Amino acid sequence: MPSPEDIKQRIEAAIPGASAEVEDTTGGGDHFRATVTSPAFEGRSRIEQHRLVYDVFGAEIGGAIHALSLKTHTPLQTATQ
Amino acid sequence: MSSTEPSSVRDLPMASSQPTTAEAAAPAGESNPIRDAITEAIAEHKVILFMKGTPEAPACGFSARTVAMLQALETPFAAVDILPDPRIRQELSTISSWPTIPQLFVDGELIGGCDIVTEMYESGELAEALV
Repeated sequence: MPSPEDIKQRIEAAIPGASAEVEDTTGGGDHFRATVTSPAFEGRSRIEQHRLVYDVFGAEIGGAIHALSLKTHTPLQTATQ
Repeated sequence: MSSTEPSSVRDLPMASSQPTTAEAAAPAGESNPIRDAITEAIAEHKVILFMKGTPEAPACGFSARTVAMLQALETPFAAVDILPDPRIRQELSTISSWPTIPQLFVDGELIGGCDIVTEMYESGELAEALV
């Protein structure tokens, strides 16, 4: 069962320059919420940004990872929030 | 509010709801009625939501929230319950390259799941997209 730290590390390892904050929303190890900032998101639509993150986990989404709620930002968006 | 459910096969074991390869659902060269039905439903409805359960009885919080946002905007939409047959979800995700449910399509394009729909609802973009 993945921990929020596992999820965070995998996102940060797979997406260039990414920093992620991950929480387990139910405490059950299968519903997570992640906020991810990466320069790799620049110039991409929200759909494409989320796909980049989902792709890190492949078939685990809907399997071991029941839900992964996402918010994605470019570094500029994070800086101006 | 119409329901556009592809031909459904019930009583399949839930264990098979894990995403697998498209080939598992549709051997090469064979017709794929479920995929065709999904593609047709997306083409035929301006706003269509693939969800767990129905708008009247959502079976998942994310689906329930997405329905509530569409209803708050008084948008007519078609809804497809993906639960009756695991192949619906599998084929839908293959078509959309999107792994999670719900999935909202407007004018044939994937808008997003609950997270993106929520962001767009809050920013007013969803109301614009639905015009």
